[in-house]
This record gives sequence, structure tokens and C-alpha cells, in this order.
Amino acid sequence: MVYQPDRSQYPQQRADGSLDIDLESGKYLKLWQGPQHPGITGNMSLELTVCGDEVVEAKTHVGYLHRGFEKLMERRTFIQCFPIVCRICVPEPDFNEYCYAAAVEELAGIQPPERSDWIRTLILEMGRINSYLMFLGGQAGSLGLGVVAQWSTYVRDLMLDRFEELTGARIYHMFILPGGVRGDLPEGFQQRMEETLKEIERTLGDIEDVMFCNAVFKKRTVGLGYIDPALFNPYGVTGPNARAGGVAKDVRRDQPYLIYSQLAFEPIVGQDSDVFARADVRRRDLLLSIDLIRQILAGMPKKGPVMAKIPNVLHWKIPPGETYIRGECSRGEYGYYLVTDGSGYPRRVNVRGPSYTHAVALLERLIVHVNISDVAGLMVSLHTYPPEIER
Amino acid sequence: MMRELYKKTKQLFPLGDLTEQRHDLVFVSIPHPFLSSLLRHLRDKEGFSHLVLLTAVDWLERGEFQLTYLLCNRSKAWDMGVRVVLPREGATMESIHTLWPTAATYQRELKEMFGIDFPGSPGVNDDFILEGWDDIPPYRRDFDTLKFAEARFTQRPGRESLDPAQHMAKHHSDGS
Amino acid sequence: MSIQDLLSPFTAWKNLFRDPVTIQDPFNDRPGSERYRGFHKNDVASCIGCGTCETICQNAAIDMVVGEGEPTGAGDSGLRPRIDYGRCCWCALCVDICMTGSLTMSNAYTWVERDPDAYRFTPGVDKKSWDNAPLGYQRAESHRLAPTQRVTMGEVAPERRIGSFEEIVQGYGVEQARLEADRCVSCGLCIATCPTHMSIPDYIQSVRDGDYEKGLALLYETNPFSNVCGRVCTHKCETVCAAGHEGEPVAIRWLKRHIVDQLPVEKYRRIIGDPKPPTGKRVAVIGAGPAGLTAAFDLAKMGHSVVVYEAREKPGGMFRYGIPEYRLPYDAMDIDIEIITSMGVEIRCHNRVGTDITMEQLHQEYDAVLLSIGLHLGRSTRIAGSDHKGVAKAVDLLRDIADGKSIDVPKQCVVIGGGNVAMDIARSMARLQKSTQGEIRVTVTALEDLDHFLADPEEVKECGEEGIAILDSRGPQEICLDDQGQIIGLRTWGVESIFDEQGRFAPRYNPEDEQIHPADRVIEAIGQQSDVTLLGEALTEKLAWNRGRIAVDGQGRTSEGWLWAAGDCVNGPDVVHAVADGHRVATDIDLMLQKKR
Repeated sequence: MVYQPDRSQYPQQRADGSLDIDLESGKYLKLWQGPQHPGITGNMSLELTVCGDEVVEAKTHVGYLHRGFEKLMERRTFIQCFPIVCRICVPEPDFNEYCYAAAVEELAGIQPPERSDWIRTLILEMGRINSYLMFLGGQAGSLGLGVVAQWSTYVRDLMLDRFEELTGARIYHMFILPGGVRGDLPEGFQQRMEETLKEIERTLGDIEDVMFCNAVFKKRTVGLGYIDPALFNPYGVTGPNARAGGVAKDVRRDQPYLIYSQLAFEPIVGQDSDVFARADVRRRDLLLSIDLIRQILAGMPKKGPVMAKIPNVLHWKIPPGETYIRGECSRGEYGYYLVTDGSGYPRRVNVRGPSYTHAVALLERLIVHVNISDVAGLMVSLHTYPPEIER
Repeated sequence: MMRELYKKTKQLFPLGDLTEQRHDLVFVSIPHPFLSSLLRHLRDKEGFSHLVLLTAVDWLERGEFQLTYLLCNRSKAWDMGVRVVLPREGATMESIHTLWPTAATYQRELKEMFGIDFPGSPGVNDDFILEGWDDIPPYRRDFDTLKFAEARFTQRPGRESLDPAQHMAKHHSDGS
Repeated sequence: MSIQDLLSPFTAWKNLFRDPVTIQDPFNDRPGSERYRGFHKNDVASCIGCGTCETICQNAAIDMVVGEGEPTGAGDSGLRPRIDYGRCCWCALCVDICMTGSLTMSNAYTWVERDPDAYRFTPGVDKKSWDNAPLGYQRAESHRLAPTQRVTMGEVAPERRIGSFEEIVQGYGVEQARLEADRCVSCGLCIATCPTHMSIPDYIQSVRDGDYEKGLALLYETNPFSNVCGRVCTHKCETVCAAGHEGEPVAIRWLKRHIVDQLPVEKYRRIIGDPKPPTGKRVAVIGAGPAGLTAAFDLAKMGHSVVVYEAREKPGGMFRYGIPEYRLPYDAMDIDIEIITSMGVEIRCHNRVGTDITMEQLHQEYDAVLLSIGLHLGRSTRIAGSDHKGVAKAVDLLRDIADGKSIDVPKQCVVIGGGNVAMDIARSMARLQKSTQGEIRVTVTALEDLDHFLADPEEVKECGEEGIAILDSRGPQEICLDDQGQIIGLRTWGVESIFDEQGRFAPRYNPEDEQIHPADRVIEAIGQQSDVTLLGEALTEKLAWNRGRIAVDGQGRTSEGWLWAAGDCVNGPDVVHAVADGHRVATDIDLMLQKKR
């Protein structure tokens, strides 16, 4: 449907700001996108009200993956929370492990050894690469460019191999635990990692040719889903979504944690704040992560413990307190708010996932007046993972 | 230093004690009627423009809810958690969606999960995560997840476990 | 947008001729990596069934079930973990916490079954193809979820302690005790091994919680001698402690002592509670040692009236007359005895049964009589010269020291024996030598080699610190005398073996390996026996005997229905065993008294 400059057929606003939509009028249609739609990132659904093929109103529906992790943790000892936190974000689980471990360490007064900080940083950057690779496949796929997903899945699998040999698992690594990490780098890891990074770089070159230097992709994404930088603070926009709009928000640089202060890098920033700019920021951020991994493997101390001495975890009690630990994950600011009450169980754990703000209030606002066929591309561009919304 | 900021702000608002968790993270308490004016002040005058999170802690034994509003001043890399205590019974709090529109999502979740009301917050009464929930708000401490699970789901039969000490008391004892 | 943007996407076609990157499964095997967290393995022989894996599992995926072919034994519950793969998330916390390192994971990750219940299995017991897989997750050496080292116990330095009988072990402070108590995994494997089945994990928890009143109440449920046992218990519990498999066992004995150290004795009675109303039944106990007093305490609590006859000056038995003061200060023991008497137990010291009162009189006057006379006669080596007046028995000397008698301290002495009593007398002599002549010249000769020593390793270590020479594998042959008939030393031969093929005591020596250990005094510490003359001929005749000891049934009753026997005189020397025995006979006596009513 061609864009109608005459807006008379579109809904009026009521006094309270809501839209006056009369479904009986035949002018509007309710359309559910998801939770199984291939363009949906994860199990989330959008309740769209369309007029023609233009969205006039959208509601985000989550809850399909709600497992009540925050509540479950209140019934588990501090060590028992460790295996479940990773499940809050499937493609990039390590931030949960890191933030939880760091919060417990801070409240329990444990100083993890230096070498474990390097390994933690390494793992977080490896996870970021995986998350971005998944995003690239999803972003291209949502606009019909399926081949990119096949390539990115292939190199992601290589990175999963590196995760497997380092952590003992491919998806839920369960490697960063309060006190340090579970083990040291395996023999010959650096060399195999270098081979993997080279393959990713080569593949990224291909992806650049096919996706970013692509007239169709540009046509569909340039100008789509523009976020006014003035909205960043009111809507809690962080990470690449903000950086693509020229705001160099990057926790790694703003509040360096782990060993980021010892690494040389500048936050990747874009200009246009649209779908294309966000994809491009993520592609370049991915290249930055590759560089960071090389820096980490070269600069890491060669010897040293990776695990601090911790009390007997079976009856580990932590004095009353509260803290917040944040990190820069591939989607923005990830954080854990932990409250302890002196018992052997967390009093309250609150997970701050970037998708919480991006996928609900922000998305519902951006999606208005977007063509239905662009909805998938737009929402993928916000790079949201529903489990961190509903936890 | 955040301590100076605290002293300065304390002259304007009835702040409680300062908890310095880290050099870049502090927590303060404030009586709930002053919350939104404090947040507005921090946002507009002190650079705390980013609402990091808003969540609740249930202090069941004290009959209170604690709301934590975590704000971030990015240029100074400071975080400040503002704590508000509400009586648990009929907990109601002023909405801050006019300060940060995204707060509406948090408030909607708090209404659903803790039963804390935020009158005027857009969509605050809409189901968020739980559709068709008919029990008490599940993130309250008095909601027992184990009991809930046992009432709704059955265990696969065939599980039984023995306590090592009790088993040994029956089957082994040295020289007695 | 440029012409390049139109052409560039077509570069994707270059991949048309690339080899596929996928693996054709299941035709090509793709093993998991070296540390892959795959299916569980359990070395059932080294597993002790402590259930720590079950405790830590946040999925409730582990059950402890009877492991086939794994009998329940000391320090092994006989249970083995069964894992429900419908719940397991392969986090491997069970592997990380495993106290023996028996639980590991293989790198296998494919397993197909039609029956869903097959996925509930007991690793190591239910044989699987991956049981011998060399690869798979194992806990890294540095990766421990509970501290493995004991909190060091403060001890008086050897130079200082050797000059007196001051107590060596200083006891834990509150913070130290909490750290040590924190190491306990509460598996409870120790309870069965403790002769009196103390609720060890529970009282250790009371140390963690700082709830000492609860701790004391728990101690008194099973042991009225916690001040004593907290110091000198043979702590068999520690030999089976789960933490001892890959680290040091929890210092259970010191934690027990810590609890009693924290409370003033005035509080004890309120915590323990009052005895039951009087039953009017009377029980006589012969010997105020650990077994007799424990039984007396129990019986008094039950409301019976108890009189303890003690031949010596003070109560305590072997506690007082067999254990040197530097290991067990008299006032610690006195606290325990004070509590026992406060329950209404009457102790009549200086009252030797057989002399001051006869067994027959006791039989007539009391509803039941308990014989708990301990082992106060030293055995002799019977080697040539062992009847010389310069040859003494360790028990006699220890008793004299306890009674404060003046001892004729030898310039140089040799102790025969390798048990704790030998160590006790050697160290007591060393102290006396130090204070009277300033120089320590004590030699201990033992039949056993150091690896099979009967004495506790700490005792041996502390002997060395105190300058006592320990010679192992030496068999005594003769007391050497000079022309005046004075002792000049002990002649020994090297030991080749102690037992014959049937396991009987029959030492074989190597006469070539002969040594003479110079000494002006030789002390025999090779074992003790009971002095049963008090029974009188008639009773001795009537009673059933078992290898020189009074025969008793499982409850401690002798062949005479009114007479029970308990403690070392029945079981051989062991402090906590005697306490356990005291409980047992008290229960049996009470049962009999109730029937009589």
C-alpha cells in the first residue's frame, strides 16, 4: 500500500492519549506476530494493530519463557544459584555468571585472583562475538537474506568449540563462579583461538560484501527504526542501540570492570541511529572484540591461580548488604542487583537486561507507522532477548 | 566525591543515612512522598539521567516493601540507589513514568509480581508476564514456589533417597 | 547506493564450490572435548556415600541409594548417588564438591534409550560405555568449594611446655572455631564410627551458629565427659571424616572442646536439666572412671540413687591416673565430675571394694551393681631382669605422678612400648628430668615400625619435639645389670616381624642387630590388665570369663544377673568407648529396675 498523505482514516487520539481504534469499523486489523514467527527474536510476540499494512499500535507480549529465576534464586544457596543464572540469556549467558559472581564476591568480601579476571574478560568477549554473529544472521534473515545466518552459524560453531574446550560446555558454560573461574586455559588454546578468529574475520568480510554492501539491504534498513538520541535516557537505551546514535555509551570504557582498563580500545560509534547504523556498529564491535581477544591472550599473565579460597559453599552465609554490578554485553548494559540479609540465600536478585527497556517501551514506540514487512527487521535491530525481560 | 553530593542533597531533601557500597555506588533512603522530587532533582541538576533499574525487595518479616530506584550519572560514572520503604499492606507508590517513560514497564511488572500499585502508570493493570494468574503476586516472599509446584505438578515416580547417617545407624555401628 | 552495492551480494556464489563444514552425524564420531561435562562416572570403590553431591545439587537430581556390592562400613555409608537425567543440568557442582574425587564426568554426550526411566542411573554401579572414558570433566586441583586445611591449633612451644605439666593444646578461639566448623559438610558419616554416636554434625553446626548452649545440650545427650573427650578422645570420628579424603579431617575433637570452653560451668546444669523424680532404686558402681561415672550420670538422671565406690583418693579413674596433666588438666576433668555429682551421684573415695566393703554386701544392699574398674595393673615383658626394682610399670608411675608423690627421677631411662601410654610416661619423665636435672634423656623402644605405630601420630611428633628418642622395631631382650646389680641399660634386637602367618603375636628378631640402650631405669608400657581380686574367690568362680576378662552380654550384663561390667576392664583401653559402654549398661540396668518395680 502506498503511503497515504491523507491521515484521516487513521485513528484519533483519545483524551488520555490512547488511540481510538474501533475494530468493528473494518479499517483495522489485529495481527499477532509471534511467538513463533521466524522474525521474532526468541519467544516474544507482538500484538499489532494495522491499518492497511501500516502498524498503528503495538503491544509487546512476553512471558513465554518465564521461569521465575529471580524467585528461584531466593530458595537456593549462593553456590546453587550459579548453575541457573546463565539460563537467563541463552546466546550470551556469561554476563549472568560474571555479574552474579562479582556481586557475591563484593558482598562476601572475596577478591578473585588476577588471572581469573583475564579469563573472565576473555570469556565475555567470546560470548559477545557469538551474540553478534547470531544477531547478524537474524538481522539479515529478517529481511530475507538467509545465507548470512548460515555463515554466521558456522563460525559461531567454531567459537562454541573454543568455549567447549575452555569451559567444558558449548551453550551454558557454567564456568565463572564466585571466587574465580573453574579452570585455566587448555594447552594450545591461543593458537586454536587465533585460527577461529581468522575464520570469523574472513566470514565477516563475506558478510560485509553480501549484507552491508547490498542495495536491497540498504534500501530496506537505512532510515528504518530511527531512534532520536533524545530518547536514549528517557527510554533507558544502552549499548549498540545508543552508540549507533552517536552516544559512546560503553560500560567497558565508562566504568571499566575486570581488566578493560588495561586494554586499548575506543567504543564503536555510529551516526544515523537507524537499523543499518545499528547493524554496522555491531559488525564493527565484533571486529573490536576479535582485537580485544588477541590483546587478552597476548597480555594475560602466564601463571597464577584462577580461583580464590572460598568458604565451604554448603553453608555459605553472606552478611547483609546490597550492590549492583554491571557489564557491557552485546545488547547494552547488563547488571545484577543483589540484596543479602545475612542468611545462606540471596534475599533478592534482580537482573537488569538491556532488552527490558528496548523490547517493550522503546519498541512499542518505534513500531508505530512502520510497514508490517519491516517490523521483523526493526525489532531484530534492537537485538532483544526475551528471557532477560521476564527472568 | 559522592559524599559531598550526599551532603549537598541532604540540605534539600530528608535523606536517610548514606551507604557507601563502592567508591562509585551509594545507596540512600528517602521517605516516599519526596521520591519523585528527589529523582527529578538528581536527573535534572546532578546528571543522573539514566534510570538503570527499578525493583522491589520484600521484607516480609518487617511488613515492608523496599523499592530501589537505581540511577546513573554516566559522565561521572556514579551510581546512586534510592531506597523507599512502603508498608506492605496496600502498597501504593507514585508513578515516575513522567520522568522516565520506560519506568512504566518496571511499574507494570512490580504491580504484577509484588502487588505494588502505581496509579496512573500506563498499562499498570495489564498482564505483563503472567496471563491468567489467580494466586497472590508470586515474587512476594510469602508465595511458596515449592508448594505451588507440588500442588500443580506430579513427580515422576521411583525417586527415593536415603540419609547416609540414618542409613548407617541402621546398618553399621562400630563396636557398639 | 552505488553499482557496487548491486554487484557485491553476488560474491556469495563463490561458496558454491566449498566443502561442507558440517559433520555427518552419526557416521562420523565427534567426541566431546577434554573437559567436556558429559555423562557422570563414579569410582564406586573410592566413593564413600557421603551425599554431599546430593546436598549441593540445585536440581534435586541426585538420590542416595544402596549401592550394590558396596557394604556399609566405617566411613562409608554404602550408599551411592543415583542421578536423574530428567533433572540434571550438567553443572558439575557435584563433581566439584565430591569429597573423595570419585565422581567425575566423561566426555560422552549421546545416549539413546526407549525407556525414559533408564535415564535415572547410578554411575559406576550401572555399567555404561563411558565408564572408562579417559576424557571428560574433572575438578582442577586448585578448584575447591570447601577449605581443605585445618585451622591450626595453638600449642605451647616445646621449649616452654617441657619444663612443666602445663596443658599443651590451647584450644580454638571463637573465630578459629567457626572457620574450622565451616569445613564440615554435615554428611554424618562420623556418627556411626563414634562409639557413643555423638551428633557431631549438629554440634559442629552449633559452633558455626555460635549457639553454644544448644551445642552443650547436644554433647550431654550422648557424653557427660565432653571436657575430657574434647581433649583426649581417641577421635575415631576424625579417621572417617569425609574431609580427610582430599584434605585434613575436621578437628571434631577440638570443636567439642571449644563448645565446653565457651560456657561457664554454672550454666551447665540449667542446660542439661534436672534428674527425674526419685525411683527409690539403688545402684552401686565400682570405680569412678569414665564408664562408671557415665553410667552413674545416666542412672541418676533417670531418678535412681547411685553410689560410686572409688578405691583411690580422687574420682576420674584412668582419666586422672592414666593421662598426664599436660594432655588433660585436672580442673577440666573436675568440671565433668562436678556436673555428674550435681545430678545426685554420690562418690565414695578411698573406699576399696573387697577391703572396705565386700561384693556380697553390695549385692545385698543395692538393686544392681556395676563393675567398672578399668585396667590398673601394668603387664610385664617378663624378660630377664624385669623383676628388678629399677624396672617400673608405666601405669604405676603415672598414678604416682597424678597423686603428687615424689618420684625418683632417673638420669636416663628407657621406655618399652609404642602405644599412647608409652608416650605418656616418656613425656612425663622428660618433664620431670627437665625440672629436676635440666636435661632430657629418655629413649622409647617399640616393637612396631613407625608406619604401624600404635600411638597417635601427634604424640609421636610431639615426643620428637620434646627431645625424646624413639627407636622403632626394637624387641627387648634383657635388662642389663652391672656388677653391683644396678641397671645399666636395656638390650634389644631388631624386629623382623611381629606376627606369624596366622596373625598370632610371635615376634621374630634379628640377633645380629643388637643394641644396648643405656639407662638407670627401665619402664614397661606394654599393656594393662584389671585387678579383679576384689571379686573374691567365690564370685570369681561363679562368673563366666572370656580370655581373662569378665564375659558380658551385648548389654554389659555378666553371668550374674545383678552384676554388670563396663569400660576398659571389659573392652580394653579406649576413653570414648568406655563412655559408650557406660550409656549402654545404664540403659540395661534401668530396664531391669523398671521391671522390678
